[in-house]
Amino acid sequence: MLDADVEVDRREFTVRAALQVGPGERLALFGPSGAGKTTLLEAIAGLVQPRRARIELGRRVLTSTAPPVCDVPPWQRRVGLLRQNPGLFPHLSVRDNLSYARSASRSEAELSSLAAVLGIDGLLSAMPARLSGGQAHRVALGRLLLARCDTLLLDEPYTGLDASLRRSLTDLVSSLVTERSVPAVLVTHELADAQAFSDRLAVIDRGEILQIGSPDEVVLRPASRRVAELIGYLGFVPGGGQVAGIHPERVVAGALPDQGLVLTGVVEAFHPAGAGWEADLRVGEATITCRLLDKPPAPGAEFTVTALDPPYFEPDRNAPAVGGVTGPERVHQ
Amino acid sequence: MSAWVSVAGAGVIWLALLGPVIALFTHLSGSAIASALTAPGALDPLVTSVESGLVTLGVLFVFCTPLAWMLARGRLPFPRVWETGVLCSLLLPPLVIGLLLVFLVGPYTPIGQVLAWLHQSATNTFLALVIAEVYESAPYYVLGAQAAFASVEPRLEQQAGLLGDRPRRVFRRVTLPLAAPGLAMALSIAWARAMGAFGAVIIIAYHPAGIPLQIYTTLQETGLASALPYALVLLVVALPLPLAAYIWSARAGRRRRG
Repeated sequence: MLDADVEVDRREFTVRAALQVGPGERLALFGPSGAGKTTLLEAIAGLVQPRRARIELGRRVLTSTAPPVCDVPPWQRRVGLLRQNPGLFPHLSVRDNLSYARSASRSEAELSSLAAVLGIDGLLSAMPARLSGGQAHRVALGRLLLARCDTLLLDEPYTGLDASLRRSLTDLVSSLVTERSVPAVLVTHELADAQAFSDRLAVIDRGEILQIGSPDEVVLRPASRRVAELIGYLGFVPGGGQVAGIHPERVVAGALPDQGLVLTGVVEAFHPAGAGWEADLRVGEATITCRLLDKPPAPGAEFTVTALDPPYFEPDRNAPAVGGVTGPERVHQ
Repeated sequence: MSAWVSVAGAGVIWLALLGPVIALFTHLSGSAIASALTAPGALDPLVTSVESGLVTLGVLFVFCTPLAWMLARGRLPFPRVWETGVLCSLLLPPLVIGLLLVFLVGPYTPIGQVLAWLHQSATNTFLALVIAEVYESAPYYVLGAQAAFASVEPRLEQQAGLLGDRPRRVFRRVTLPLAAPGLAMALSIAWARAMGAFGAVIIIAYHPAGIPLQIYTTLQETGLASALPYALVLLVVALPLPLAAYIWSARAGRRRRG
């Protein structure tokens, strides 16, 4: 079990966060760039000095700023940190990188079998400079796994990799975390990566965890308008004294009043998006974005859509101009 | 076409830089080399230069490497002050360094008296020669080594720490191997400076004479024709170490590129 309660001063704000991640559990820490995600991981790894903290890993206290004060140095923490830059040692071969850790298993059989699982068994004598981005990440991951770390901290490790590689690495890490029963934390600003990886999803902004729950719960029932904005709700439409959050991917064409909020507006623009279309719809004074399967009508035409089971929030006086519809007569629920 | 122009341009610059060496070879004769180098004790300055140069390199590596590492990693307060100090010793003309060393380690200074108490002297001794060479070459080594350490990504050291290595072990397994090609180049530059040291040497270490001083005294006593063979010796003796450093650095780079 990883149990971290941390306060770290940064120039712009203080990161205040508490996390508990059980053995074999995968927690994704999702938030915008500069939200304090990496700072939190670095505090757990002992790379930054917290103002106040208590960090426990298994039965070991790694950091305690309260008496009895304790600060285990990074080299004794047994915390594995994988960053966007895999950090392979360029002067060592893949084999030497894999077996670098002092705690690494010296068993050739274990190294070979892990290399086979990671798909790098043919690269053991190669130098890191010859590896592709995906191969380098696999080697870095293998190095952490052979080091027998007590927890895995993954700091945006898939940035810059293509979608299929991200998916295969995510699946691989997920299965290995479960198999080894270590707590794992993934930091990302890509919601899809966070959802694909995690058992639980935490949303962090300006150093504070705003919501923590199952990925479905957080995405479908964001705790606040700010959380909704962070996870991709692009439109906020008033109705019944509250504000409905509209996620572009949870909108369907037509009026389905029993499935959500029916909105009628004027098409402002649209363009192809993946296998479907993305349209901007003017509803009163607000513009909402919808991803649709079929091509919407031409700009200027009236169009009705249904926002499926949208979350509702208290009106936010300081909210940006995307919300604030003053023409409720065009909104039907 | 443009590639040929580039090669030709580089060739012109290279030949211009080699001008003095070419002049040396064109003004040397086999008989002059033979008569100069077969004279009794003719090779003593060579031995002195090599010995003092090697001791100088050892002193620089042991004492200046940690300083360069701390400068590169920002481990020192007010780093610009420290760097300015290194630059000052680089900017002082070697002759002035020699004159100032007299005030620092001469026989009537506190350091000179301590050395005398130890039956040593920093004037006209092998120790004085090493001191002069260290002062002439140290800034070159410190700045080169600082750049070599700065080129090692700190996150690699951090990663090695997270994999269980204590800082000293990180230095030995990651920092030093990665900085080694740059350190080798810095050492070879320091070696060249030490072997060619003259300005400070002539002030505090007239004896025992190394090759540069031997060239100067031979020029004074018997003329240019007798002095030039020692320049050739200096070149032949001083060149292999930097050349080896270049070759080793290039090989290390190739090995890393796989």
